[in-house]
Amino acid sequence: MDFTIIIDSLPSLLKATLMTILLAGISIVIALLIGFITAIVRIIKVKFLHKVAGLYVSVIRGTPLLVQIFVIYYGLPQIGISLDPISSGIVALSLNAGAYLSESFRASILAVDHGQTEAAMSMGMTYAQSLKRIILPQSLRIAIPTLSNSFIILIKDTSLVSVITVTELLQMSSLIIAKTFEPLTIYLIAAAIYWVVISSFTVLLDKMELRTSKYLVR
Amino acid sequence: MSIIQVTNLKKNFGQNEVLQGIDLSINKSEVVVIMGPSGSGKSTLLRCLNFLEEPSAGTIEIGDYQVIAGGKMDRKRKKVIRELRKRTGFVFQSFNLFPHKTAIENVMEGPIAIHGTSKEEARKLAESQLIKVGLGDRCDHYPVQLSGGQQQRVAIARSLALNPLVMLYDEPTSALDPELVQEVLHVIKALALEGMTMIIVTHEMNFAKEVADRVVFMDNGLIVEQGTSEEIFGSPKEERTRKFLSMVE
Repeated sequence: MDFTIIIDSLPSLLKATLMTILLAGISIVIALLIGFITAIVRIIKVKFLHKVAGLYVSVIRGTPLLVQIFVIYYGLPQIGISLDPISSGIVALSLNAGAYLSESFRASILAVDHGQTEAAMSMGMTYAQSLKRIILPQSLRIAIPTLSNSFIILIKDTSLVSVITVTELLQMSSLIIAKTFEPLTIYLIAAAIYWVVISSFTVLLDKMELRTSKYLVR
Repeated sequence: MSIIQVTNLKKNFGQNEVLQGIDLSINKSEVVVIMGPSGSGKSTLLRCLNFLEEPSAGTIEIGDYQVIAGGKMDRKRKKVIRELRKRTGFVFQSFNLFPHKTAIENVMEGPIAIHGTSKEEARKLAESQLIKVGLGDRCDHYPVQLSGGQQQRVAIARSLALNPLVMLYDEPTSALDPELVQEVLHVIKALALEGMTMIIVTHEMNFAKEVADRVVFMDNGLIVEQGTSEEIFGSPKEERTRKFLSMVE
């Protein structure tokens, strides 16, 4: 292993890591929105919309992410919708994670003790009020472990976007290897960078889980 | 003057006819204790009164609001049911306090969410309610830091904060350790003396003898007999009542 290669390639790799983080960051935020709305629509069974939501979750979970990326980047132009690689990547990642997140949210809401809903409703609250004031705050703590699973998977899924020419970490690694012919070194560094990014993110999520569990600690 | 009027109330869970036609009338400031063996329908009756269970047939009138069973659950009906619920305070066997809120925040929840009371007003109101149930020094404790008896007393304060027409207690002490039962019964007794209209489902015979204006004995989804506590405990007319009392005492 040649250490000068590591030092020379680090700046490019780190710059590409910023792209990875950007893709993941924006997609996570959009996915959270999509996932939350989908979960609520399905729980309160909004007329007609909840069937659409169910179909969305089924299709996304039933097809490979790579296929979804190709449909959006290569397929949509055929019906007149052309997105650049980065936008395609974000749309694909958001839609994909959104479906899984919606199931996390749905499960966490259903996991809150039914007695809580009964207590809230017997005061005369609407279901919406009981969700907002009583159920959702308690469901957050329950949701975090499965949400963090989805976030971590999303960060790693950004590597798939390399196939539609976005220069994120994996793509940059492959480009450097084409010049230096040191696959083991470079791919190991890339892996190490993914590991550092995901581990730091996990520390953040652990802190969040602790914060939402305050009321359970004596 | 009847505050609650229940007419021919029926409730089926699938094939199981839990309530087979209940007629009941509760007057202002009356304390009614409902007793009976397990499965007699006592809790179901109570839960139908504030529509935690949707009755299969019959009519429920509380104050000025009347709901007939079997109607389509449209927006108007939902609103009537909500208004009905605002006028009944329900106390659960398992307390159902909101664990993510302190005792005082639990009691403040009703006034803020339902009556639109300001936080400061609600806090003052909640504090006085907590003092009333003997927990003035526990306002900022979370439910997890309170004993069962204390949690149930907070639950009572929470229901009282909405100024209900009637308080409904579903076996309020059944989930408590024996030594904690008295502190809760004490609070309920005090409320009865103040003239609060109450329906209590309980197995606490001695308590019933002390507070009840009327005792209703239920079995198999029907009211078997009802009367004053002297009549029911002293000289029950029905065989089933006698059998139940002999097993419990």
